[in-house]
Amino acid sequence: MMDNLGIFLQIMFWGLYAGCIYILLATGLNLIFGVMKIVNFAHGEFLMIGAYITATIFFLTGINPYVIILLSMLALIGIGAIVERLCFRPILGTGKLNEIFLSIGLIYIFQNGAAMIWGDAWQSVRSPYDGITVPVGSLSVPLDYIIIVAFTAAILFALYFFLKKTTTGMEMRATSQNRKGAMLVGINVERIDIISFGLGCALAAAAGTLWVVSGQVFNPYMGSIPAVKAFAIIILGGLGSIPGAIIGGLLMGIAENSAAYLLGGIWKDAVSFIILIVVLVVRPTGLFGEKGE
Amino acid sequence: MKYPVLFIVALLVLATLFAGCTQQAATQQQTTSASQGTIKIGVIVSLTGPASNVGNNMWQSAQVAADKINADGGVTLKDGSKAQIKLIVGDDESTQQGGQKAATKLITDDKVDILVGGYSSAVTSAYEQTIAEYKVPYIVTGASSPIITHRTDIDTSYVFHHCPTTDTYGQYTTSFIDQVIRSAIAKKSGFSADRPLRLALMYQDTAFGKGVQTAVNNTITKEKLNIQLVSQQSFKMGESDFRTQLTAIKAANPDAVYIAAFPNEGAPIITQARRDIGLNTIFLNVENNDNAQFYKDLGQYGEGAIIESRFSPYTAPAGAVADAQNAFKQAYFTKFGTYPDMMGASTYEGVFIAAKAIGNAGTTDKATVRQALVNLKMPQVIEAMKDQTISFSPDFRESTFDLWMEQLSFNQTLGETRPAIVWPDNLKTTAFALPSWYTAGST
Repeated sequence: MMDNLGIFLQIMFWGLYAGCIYILLATGLNLIFGVMKIVNFAHGEFLMIGAYITATIFFLTGINPYVIILLSMLALIGIGAIVERLCFRPILGTGKLNEIFLSIGLIYIFQNGAAMIWGDAWQSVRSPYDGITVPVGSLSVPLDYIIIVAFTAAILFALYFFLKKTTTGMEMRATSQNRKGAMLVGINVERIDIISFGLGCALAAAAGTLWVVSGQVFNPYMGSIPAVKAFAIIILGGLGSIPGAIIGGLLMGIAENSAAYLLGGIWKDAVSFIILIVVLVVRPTGLFGEKGE
Repeated sequence: MKYPVLFIVALLVLATLFAGCTQQAATQQQTTSASQGTIKIGVIVSLTGPASNVGNNMWQSAQVAADKINADGGVTLKDGSKAQIKLIVGDDESTQQGGQKAATKLITDDKVDILVGGYSSAVTSAYEQTIAEYKVPYIVTGASSPIITHRTDIDTSYVFHHCPTTDTYGQYTTSFIDQVIRSAIAKKSGFSADRPLRLALMYQDTAFGKGVQTAVNNTITKEKLNIQLVSQQSFKMGESDFRTQLTAIKAANPDAVYIAAFPNEGAPIITQARRDIGLNTIFLNVENNDNAQFYKDLGQYGEGAIIESRFSPYTAPAGAVADAQNAFKQAYFTKFGTYPDMMGASTYEGVFIAAKAIGNAGTTDKATVRQALVNLKMPQVIEAMKDQTISFSPDFRESTFDLWMEQLSFNQTLGETRPAIVWPDNLKTTAFALPSWYTAGST
């Protein structure tokens, strides 16, 4: 019985870890969708670029990768701002098809660009805390995963603070709720767009960095599957809803790992979409979505 | 309104006619390519996608082979003329659709005389229909599922299998577990001789992984081995997070874990098992993991692990093939600055086999080359073959290799593990040993 409880807790913990990556990716995607209402299928590529930036700085300097996360996020704010300005702003409001095909094009550009710069072989990084375990209740958990959960919580708290307490955050929320209304009260929505897109990309970079420090292998094609899952999560949680993305990401991580244990590894991806379909049938707006979003 | 429609129809007709003329011209060129001094060998590998590390190694090895053959004068044809080899690569993108595209392009656009390569069994089997349709001789040097030449739903008579199948190495590894690991564990842990060895399987959910799973199960049943399969966990190709399946395996208390995975999956499986799950056991790996990147990624966590092998970047068996293997590694290192892996070695040989078959046939006519492959008996090149000869079995056109088992030990200076051959007795350079940290499963 104790053994079963131990396994259950262990699976929940791996679900929590996977959920952290999904939460950061999906929250960033939702932030962008909430403000700009654009569909960016290339969001997973920002995770990939974040992973490579962290790994490259780590390989070159040996700086603790948990410190590099900030540099990686800053770099992605810049890259995100450029992509928003050059690619998405010109087609904003011209139809969803344009956004979809633009983002598909970006996927190929980023993947091939990364393959040219870093090569397309898989790589991995060893965290400085590799091999250190910490007792958590009845579990013995590697320190890296505790740090990953703590970093995710800290980033989400900082985002919450930014959105609730700062003027720019409030302007972002206003733009998300009513773009025309925000324009009428004098908010520069184009500035808000660029900030939202940059922040969304920075969250993807954080997810990529945490992916790397957890010892998972990465290559230029790593972003596609997590991006699809991030879309499933934001639909599951409710389009534009940050709490929805958090709960959805956590739910997805735990469901995937439970399915891999109970049904086998091949069900890991499928179960996410089964849950998505069930939630949409019962509640078409998603768990935290509102009508009309 | 009706004139533009007529104009478009006329354009389409002209385009079709033009394509037909081009096709005919290309066909004529194909039959005369050898006599014009060039043999076109198509190499289908995974240059991109999850299997790209192995795929690039295969492609680079093929180039080293072509360089050597061409430097030695090329291929002698029936009329005494010499033909140089020209390699054309097709990237299967590690996907079935990509494989289909690559095979079709190489056959219909590039008009290759013969094909070499193929890594993922799932990907390779997806375009075998195209091979059957165009009847192009294909020497498969990486895809190890027996279905590659055993399947009966399509004609596989033009496909020749130059790598051990999952049946062969699954059986070989299971025998090693029974004969070597069992006694070592019993000795170290004080178990009785009749205690079943508790084996767990971690396999990729593809034809390759399932092939290994089937081979292990069949070997245990047919040979009545005292091995109990305590957990069989699967994962998707390209997966990177294996912690949940490894948690399930640990809960089953195994004595050893046999992993059927690609190197980009195998290294994280062992790392996550030892670092995150605390599964301190013996991990047995399939031969495709004998790859420089695998050793690099494993780091200290590879200590004690086993790889079933027939070519390694870092070791060679004593005897006839050692010099040939070292010469190949040196040539590869000189050209690319890294070392070839096992799939590279069989692809290197695949190019030699293709050249020899065309030389024996004296023509690039595909049916004649196929027959030359059927009748082929050539001396082993760099890998140890049964009777030191490369030939294909009459039933399923499979060549037969001499295999061995390696154990990895950590080299502090390099920060990586290095292999040493521990089985069979006639090839081993050291004895198998359980690491000090090894923990056996429950009694």
